[in-house]
Amino acid sequence: MVDLFIWLSSFFILVALLVILVFQLICLADLEFDYINPYDSSSRINKVVLPEFILQGFLCLFYLLTGHWVMSLLCAPYLYYNVTLYTRKQHLVDVTEIFNLLHWEKKQRICKLVYVVVLIFFAIFWMIYTALEDVDD
Amino acid sequence: MGTENPGRPSFPMRPSSTPFASAPPTVRPFSSSGPLAGSESSNFRPTSPGAPPTMTPFSAAGPSPPARFSDPSVPSPPIKPVPPFGMPYHQFPTHPFPSAAQIPPNRAPPVGQPPFQPPATQVSVPPPSFRQQTQVPLVPMGSPPQNANFPLPSMNVPQPPSDSSLSGPRPNFQPPFPGYPNKQPAVSQAPPPFPAQQGSFMPPPAPPSPFPSQQGSYGPPPRQSLTEDFSSLSVASVPGSIDPAFDHRTLPRPLDGDEVPSSFLEMYPMNCDPRYLRLTTSAIPNSQSLLSRWHLPLGAVVCPLAEAPEGEEVPVINFTSTGIIRCRRCRTYVNPYVTFTDAGRKWRCNICSLLNDVPGEYFANLDATGRRIDLDQRPELIKGSVEFVAPTEYMVRPPMPPLYFFLIDVSISAVRSGMIEVVAQTIRSCLDELPGFPRTQIGFITYDSTIHFYNMKANLDDIFVPLPDDLLVNLSESRNVVETFLDSLPSMFQDNVNVESAFGPALKAAFMVMSQLGGKLLIFQNSLPSLGVGRLKLRGDDLRVYGTDKEHILRLPEDPFYKQMAADLTKYQIGINIYAFSDKYTDIASLGTLAKYTGGQVYYYPSFQSGIHGEKLRHELARDLTRETAWEAVMRIRCGKGIRFTTYHGNFMLRSTDLLALPAVDCDKAYAMQLSLEETLLTTQTVYFQVALLYTASCGERRIRVHTAAAPVVTDLGEMYRQADTGAIVSLFCRLAIERTLTSKLEDARNSLQLRIVKALREYRNLYAVQHRLGTRMIYPESLKFLCLYGLALSKSVPLKGGYADAQLDERCAAGFTMMALPVKKLLKLLYPSLIRIDEYLLKPSAEADDDFKNIMKRLPLVAECLDSRGLYIYDDGFRFVIWFGRMLSPDIAKNLLGSDFAAELSRVILTEQDNEMSRRLMKI
Repeated sequence: MVDLFIWLSSFFILVALLVILVFQLICLADLEFDYINPYDSSSRINKVVLPEFILQGFLCLFYLLTGHWVMSLLCAPYLYYNVTLYTRKQHLVDVTEIFNLLHWEKKQRICKLVYVVVLIFFAIFWMIYTALEDVDD
Repeated sequence: MGTENPGRPSFPMRPSSTPFASAPPTVRPFSSSGPLAGSESSNFRPTSPGAPPTMTPFSAAGPSPPARFSDPSVPSPPIKPVPPFGMPYHQFPTHPFPSAAQIPPNRAPPVGQPPFQPPATQVSVPPPSFRQQTQVPLVPMGSPPQNANFPLPSMNVPQPPSDSSLSGPRPNFQPPFPGYPNKQPAVSQAPPPFPAQQGSFMPPPAPPSPFPSQQGSYGPPPRQSLTEDFSSLSVASVPGSIDPAFDHRTLPRPLDGDEVPSSFLEMYPMNCDPRYLRLTTSAIPNSQSLLSRWHLPLGAVVCPLAEAPEGEEVPVINFTSTGIIRCRRCRTYVNPYVTFTDAGRKWRCNICSLLNDVPGEYFANLDATGRRIDLDQRPELIKGSVEFVAPTEYMVRPPMPPLYFFLIDVSISAVRSGMIEVVAQTIRSCLDELPGFPRTQIGFITYDSTIHFYNMKANLDDIFVPLPDDLLVNLSESRNVVETFLDSLPSMFQDNVNVESAFGPALKAAFMVMSQLGGKLLIFQNSLPSLGVGRLKLRGDDLRVYGTDKEHILRLPEDPFYKQMAADLTKYQIGINIYAFSDKYTDIASLGTLAKYTGGQVYYYPSFQSGIHGEKLRHELARDLTRETAWEAVMRIRCGKGIRFTTYHGNFMLRSTDLLALPAVDCDKAYAMQLSLEETLLTTQTVYFQVALLYTASCGERRIRVHTAAAPVVTDLGEMYRQADTGAIVSLFCRLAIERTLTSKLEDARNSLQLRIVKALREYRNLYAVQHRLGTRMIYPESLKFLCLYGLALSKSVPLKGGYADAQLDERCAAGFTMMALPVKKLLKLLYPSLIRIDEYLLKPSAEADDDFKNIMKRLPLVAECLDSRGLYIYDDGFRFVIWFGRMLSPDIAKNLLGSDFAAELSRVILTEQDNEMSRRLMKI
């Protein structure tokens, strides 16, 4: 039962990550089509960048502490990437260069998005698997 | 490459060097040879082939290029040593031949004989250009030293006068055909081989003049057409040649300054003047595959406010009744290329082809040819550049007044260097000429470790707290207060011993004061910001970092505060100009960011001393304050369907994908952009470009300046090269290379620049080399003859040259920011400054002197040989004058110029008599 709860909460964390990434992508797309100006766009994105990083780090730690080290390992590359960005101070969007970097910023977030979606599938799989096991028991 | 010409390898280098280096080998237009060869020498050619494979040269070049570029001079040296003719060959490694060396093995074979043995002598002859094959035979001069020979050769040669001569010599060497000694040269055409190689890199050929011969040379008609296609350059590698013999004058040099391609204008007379908009090639490729074979950048350089000569000002049009006529869909402004149809009731947009209605008030009947009958009264339908007065729809607020705000560092170093005094005096003297009287606003803040505000209100009766309103005042109302303040400013701080600099907080204070209106903020910074927000560390320039992956970080702003601040400033229409004076490291990389993203400029005076640099500061500050400025501007460039501007380069901030925000623009700012094709195949015959700059003029009127240009779409790569514009290409390359230095090593930036030039020339060569049997020489289109020279100059310019020891980090960054904003003409002048000999001129009586002032102003090639130790020269790159006193300069002149104590070289004491001339020249900048 505890296990099921763990999978459930990790599922919600992943969905939250997904939402944050989609939000950032929407901001970038709006910027590209000139619906919002670069100042608003970058300040909106920058506001959620740190929460995203923290949430992801928390998720990784959460898996590790609850003994799901395979999932933790799966999260590790993402975490590593975030940490490198942060230490290089490249994690925030640069309002002055945002148009030149637009392409790269989008690509980076789409990759993350795909990554998160894959993780969600794993989480759902384990969740259902655990639930069925619980029922069996 | 080297291979073929064994010897050659070195040459290549030379070429490059040539520009500078005096000696370089001669260049020769290939033309001459080419043709000739054909004629007589068929045989010969073969020889040449031996020489090498032409192609190689390029390729080789590719590889080698670096070297060449980098050190032109270097190569040559080797050569020099070489003895005269014989030598030429010597160079070639191969030669075993002791004596002559002449014949390089390779060649030899073809030739057959080693002509040279006698080398020296014979040699001489050949030189003459091939053209002559005729004959000149050579003169056997005995080959005296090469020099001698050369001359002869030239003589011999009939047609090819000078050029040939140079080239000539070498040729000789090679071919050495047995029999013909003389001819050989010609035949050899071979010369080409060498030449070619060298040529390739070489600096481009010089101006046309040299070439003339080339073309001429072609005898056969067919060739003529060839000539039109391109020019070629071949340098002989004669060993000895280098020396005297070598006539550097044959190298193309841009002595006439920038040449703007004119064929384009003739084709589309209604285009805007090239001073406003220049395309890197006036022939747009019709497909992506064609574009990928054009290895140079495809794009445009726009200088929207370029100064127009008297009588060619941009007409101002006021569409009060109808509103500005624009296309409904793409928002293009009405321009000379729109077509009217349906008896004048509709007009078709030239950019998106949409049919628009003509507003009633704008209607005019069409004549039989489909032209509007009122065409004469409609400048917007005749001229490529017009200005529309913008109605209120184009304003988000009332037009702002011109506003100048000064942020002056008054710490101890500023006081000691005399900077404050010069600045205060200059500002005071410019008060009358500030644009926009009587609306101009002005304000001051000074700072050291504290920030000082100055209440400028004329009426001090009821003052309580400093309100922003009091810090920023109307100049005409508070004129007296401002003048008094400026008069007392230098003395106010003369005893200041504060060494700190609260730059960041002062900047924020200025931002708050100005945020209501926007305007121009001039910052005079004397030391590294050390207090408060935005303080910077002494990162310094570190030798160990060069050559590593971290090298570029030094050239990036350290603190994100600066980028964020720049973005905010732009948002509030504040443009920043930075004046930096420190003798120590000031982190221009960070400070300059402010100017970069606000459309400003960086002026850097290392170790400022008012006695030495005061004049330069005065001049530049005065120009900055008094030139016509456009406020709160935005610029957009539109282009036809199928193509799109993708990247923008310069000092500005992008507000949306294609909208440049420019808080303050003036005539000294240009912006570059690159084009890409969106469709695989363009079906239209012509593409149109329209630059629109929406701005507030100093007089308070909101205006839209529109420049329209058309360019043909072509299917032929050769046409693209023919229509290329070297100035625009160099300008774009310069910006790309400087941006590259911000993300990678200096060396990478230089290499990629060279690689692109080499690739482009190789592509061009592939187009023509085979069909015209050009053998080994380098060929290049007439339009790009200076490209190699400028490419070389660019990689030796301050932002790109060398490594740690070659330029201080601050200077590098400051020059980088400056070059990112320069218009084409000024950039070319900076890269290839003019050198003028003035001693003869100064000695003439003044009346006569006035007459041939023009003659004297002839630019000399920048080679060491041009400097005569008895002469007096002025070297002018648009930013500074260097006056070069020859060692043997007559004492009279020196005394007159410098005053009796001319030991003190820096003192600029100039006799009044000469002063006129000198100052006149100064004014020419």
